[in-house]
Amino acid sequence: MIAPQGVLDKEAFCTQVIACQETMFRTAKAILRQDEDAEDAVQDAICTAFASRESLRDIQRFKPWILRILTNKCYDLCRKRRPVVDLEDVADRLAAETTDPIRRMTLWQAVMSLNDDLRVTVTLFYYEGFSVREIGQILGISEAAVKTRLSRGRARLRLILEEK
Amino acid sequence: MRCKMDQFDEMLKKRAAEEPFPIPQDYAGRVFQTCAGLEETKPRSRRSHRWAACAAAALALFIAVPNVSPAAAAAMAEVPLLGAIVEIITFRSYTYDDGHGAANVTVPELGGSGAAEEISQQVREYTDRLIARFEEDCKTLGTGYEALDVSSTVVTDTEQWFTLRVDAVQTQAGAYQFSRFYHIDKTTGETVSLRDLFRKDTDYVAVLSAQVRQQMDARMAENQEADYFPENFADIDPEQNFYWNEAGDLVLVFDEYAIAPGSMGMQEFTIPANVYEALLK
Repeated sequence: MIAPQGVLDKEAFCTQVIACQETMFRTAKAILRQDEDAEDAVQDAICTAFASRESLRDIQRFKPWILRILTNKCYDLCRKRRPVVDLEDVADRLAAETTDPIRRMTLWQAVMSLNDDLRVTVTLFYYEGFSVREIGQILGISEAAVKTRLSRGRARLRLILEEK
Repeated sequence: MRCKMDQFDEMLKKRAAEEPFPIPQDYAGRVFQTCAGLEETKPRSRRSHRWAACAAAALALFIAVPNVSPAAAAAMAEVPLLGAIVEIITFRSYTYDDGHGAANVTVPELGGSGAAEEISQQVREYTDRLIARFEEDCKTLGTGYEALDVSSTVVTDTEQWFTLRVDAVQTQAGAYQFSRFYHIDKTTGETVSLRDLFRKDTDYVAVLSAQVRQQMDARMAENQEADYFPENFADIDPEQNFYWNEAGDLVLVFDEYAIAPGSMGMQEFTIPANVYEALLK
């Protein structure tokens, strides 16, 4: 299906990483909420991706490929993270709740108020423009599950954004 | 309604593209530094795995697999001859374990007729895809954990029907269970999907979907813990998974997450014969 290609050299790999660094941060932040955790996950994912770059068969698929590695790193971090509530952890949510009604809530604030599973799905769809199929591949879930999450996320966003 | 939804989607995408997104000041520098610090090393070598095909030993192993229902185990005890035209020739077993990834796949090889060989080929292609995906995930997961378990059972073996059910569970951050059903109509010697049961001029999808929707509503009314997404359920797949239960009723099967939250597991709906019998071929 995909013609075999050589393994990416460091320069080509880094060019690809830098081109999708914003997507990586946004995806990690959608799962982990905290900037520092998201940055740690991105750094970790870059190192893992580079070490296993021979598994990337098509450079056109670089972005979903590295995002799959990144989301796995994020879920690993979630499992290891202490079950405590840090104020920073909910900073975006607090911001969302205290927003002056006259001043419009940003879409990102609304996204961050969604439940765990919905945030990353909605982010990949609306911010990054991935298809349902691609999101399923990145998150390792079925297309039906993606559609369900999108549908719930969309309904929730409509409620939040149109009521404010 | 759809138009309104599309407009809302477009609005969200526009806002996502236009609104400023807060990125920490040090982030770009950190990515750059990480990239700069990468060291060119030899790519990791592939871990070993094995496919085994051995009839007698695998058979004993297969019946001992946990979660195989007593009925299925009894059906399997009848191998290798299940019917006039469907034989289980051997079992293909794939195992893998490296501490981070573990796979256990056992499926039968069928023979005895063209239809049985066709099903066997479909199952082989299906499990090959699952295994390829698993191996790919193992390479990208790093220190994460990945598991794949595939087992199969003969759910129906009557004079007319042979049905093989292949169950898979993929585990990463959470577990995802899904199944495929393969049918042979022994009277015709043909493989059969849901579509093949009904006449072409009938709208069996609409009829069965309405019945599923009705049963979802009834279950939610009866049990507060039943939590379906009827608003997200449009129609069944024209090739929706199904099987015939012991009473001979048509049972539609939905994978985990397809129509309900993961906590509800896979869902089955038994369709009364009077709902669909007029549509049958």
